[in-house]
Amino acid sequence: MKRVFVGMSGGVDSSVTAALLVEQGFDVTGVYMKNWTQDLPGMRCPWADDLADAKRVAVQLGISLKVYDFQDQYRQKVVDYMLAEYQAGHTPNPDIMCNQEVKFKLFLDTALADGADMIATGHYARLENCDWCVEVGENRKKLLKAADEQKDQTYFLYRVTGEALGKTVFPLGEYTKSHVRKLAEERGLATAQKKDSQGICFVGSVGIHEFLQEFVETTPGNIVDKHTGKTLGRHDGAIYYTLGQRHGLDLGGGMPYYVVDKDMARNEVFVSRDLNDRSMWCSYLELEQIHWINQPAKEGESLRVRLRHRGALHPAIYSNGNLEMQEAERAVAVGQSAVLYLGDEVLGGGIVSGA
Amino acid sequence: MSQESIYLDYAAATPLDSTVLEAMILYFSDVFYNPSAPYEGGRLARDALESARSEVAQVLGAKSTNVIFTAGATESIQIALVGLLKSGGYAVIGATEHAAVRGCVRDFPSRIALADNRGYITPESVRKVIQDDTVVVSIALADSEFGTVQPIADIAHMINLVRHDRREKGNKTPLYLHSDGSQATGSLELKTSRLGVDLLSLNASKCYGPKQVGVLWVRNGIVLEPLVSGGGQERGLRSGTENVAGAVGCAKAISMAQTMRYDENRRLQELRTYLLQQLEQIDGLVVDGHPKKHLPGHLHVHISGLDSERVIYRLDIDGVYIATGAACAANKGKRNPALEAVGMTPAEADGSLRISLGRSTTKQQLEIAARAIKRAIDLERGL
Repeated sequence: MKRVFVGMSGGVDSSVTAALLVEQGFDVTGVYMKNWTQDLPGMRCPWADDLADAKRVAVQLGISLKVYDFQDQYRQKVVDYMLAEYQAGHTPNPDIMCNQEVKFKLFLDTALADGADMIATGHYARLENCDWCVEVGENRKKLLKAADEQKDQTYFLYRVTGEALGKTVFPLGEYTKSHVRKLAEERGLATAQKKDSQGICFVGSVGIHEFLQEFVETTPGNIVDKHTGKTLGRHDGAIYYTLGQRHGLDLGGGMPYYVVDKDMARNEVFVSRDLNDRSMWCSYLELEQIHWINQPAKEGESLRVRLRHRGALHPAIYSNGNLEMQEAERAVAVGQSAVLYLGDEVLGGGIVSGA
Repeated sequence: MSQESIYLDYAAATPLDSTVLEAMILYFSDVFYNPSAPYEGGRLARDALESARSEVAQVLGAKSTNVIFTAGATESIQIALVGLLKSGGYAVIGATEHAAVRGCVRDFPSRIALADNRGYITPESVRKVIQDDTVVVSIALADSEFGTVQPIADIAHMINLVRHDRREKGNKTPLYLHSDGSQATGSLELKTSRLGVDLLSLNASKCYGPKQVGVLWVRNGIVLEPLVSGGGQERGLRSGTENVAGAVGCAKAISMAQTMRYDENRRLQELRTYLLQQLEQIDGLVVDGHPKKHLPGHLHVHISGLDSERVIYRLDIDGVYIATGAACAANKGKRNPALEAVGMTPAEADGSLRISLGRSTTKQQLEIAARAIKRAIDLERGL
């Protein structure tokens, strides 16, 4: 019987994941990953409640629950990375880093060393055997979009290796979210009614702005009209603004302004009222830190690119680290990930370094 | 609480008694007046408040002018301890004191009177940590984890000797004995002269009264510095318009419990013995606390290496509600320090269960609960 270690966060998705694997006859062990959180005085510590929920479900399923303490590594690999990126004026994605560094590296390695044959998570994504891998005797898997397009989480998974996926199961890949909730209710799982978590887990309810305020030093600067060069207002730190943003500018009424550019050195944020401002639109993307799950895309291959979680898939041609998109796309910020799809398969992607 | 569930956590909360509720109801809307108001309605409210005060005073065998109503035992304890310590001096607290007491002395110099492995704190243990500048000793009548009943009268006697000693030596530092009676309000003797305490904190919510109402009794002549200033209600120690309905409910609950306690204690003691007989068959189960001096319906056990949090979740599925002082979500991930104070290892502490019986507990319920507990432990061990 295969031993599967399931990452259980105390949410409904990972609860159902564990339940399905138990029903499928696997030898299942739950693992709660204690990642870094900020303890706020007076607030009920959220991780304790999540751990309790994970434990409740483990008890219901009759499986054991281990706690892996990844706080230090998580702080280093995910939180510090995010802070550094923001500080550089970029728009990072900590979830992608969490999957790359924590769930499909640290958790996988720890679980394997701890006696697991495989790991499982509650991600909405599918895995498929890879023909050429089998031929060369490698245990790798291909990553495919989830059946539920609305919940598909492959955008967050493109920096995982095919080798790690070879030791992974995603039992929820074929289900819709509402179906998963129904499965939870049918089984009377303690987390069946629990609300989905929102936003970045370690930022919690305070919101990214307040979180950054605490960890990154910023100085106020000017908000400048890109066309007239006129100073329209003040901001409390250019790092808080991302391309295409229109909220939180506080520039008074009338037609909305959009962030179209930032000058980190001068701490200035440029805005425009023109939705078609050329600097907001681009059709050519330069990528760095390119990662392929299994094999690189072929030169000149027609692919589709996704620029944000659940964002549209845009036709694009890949060539030597660059992407030529068929149609211009609005507000692509440096630091954002461009994820490449061939049909349903996620080939990999890179981080936008120039647009 | 659903019909089928079996509640065995009376040390955490008790349901409001229907007679108590009935007594309170008048004062929510019919007689809602401010007791300080100069007209008839105010007088009615004032009368109700003062007769509630007399009712509590009678239970304590004390003068009603020395009884103040608070927003619960935590607040009573705070008013007593911080009120004494603000003007300087050391505190001594018992090793198994509730967080309400530990929290109070956190910002003041304090020492801890050790408990033995039954959670029992002897006068000698307290004497050892009293210094020349100790102004207050706080030992609960009975602790909330093990339900061990402390020899408070003996401790009071010892403290008298220390006072005498101080007088002889010309040491003018006062020394007071405060006791947290939250767990004991419904079941132990509360006559202050028998207890020998100088300050006593009580709670209505542990004896079938309303939550967020408590009592602080302060012996004549003790001056406390108030923590909240305002309208000067409750002898200036607890400003704010009085909670008349709460006070009425609190007094009713305490006096009812005290009237019932002889019969009820005997009944609870028998039930506890029965439960213990059932549980003692469990391999590796150790009974904690004092074998004789314990609250009548309070049972604390542990099984080293057991994950008591899991047992509690499993019992929850069966509708049996019990508690633990182990490191778990309910305790914000931290163990009750009382567990270590009696020398438990972390594995023993995290395998501990607190089962507390109350007025609605029946033998039949305990039979079902004991079976569920045994089954839950077996299942956990099978993993």
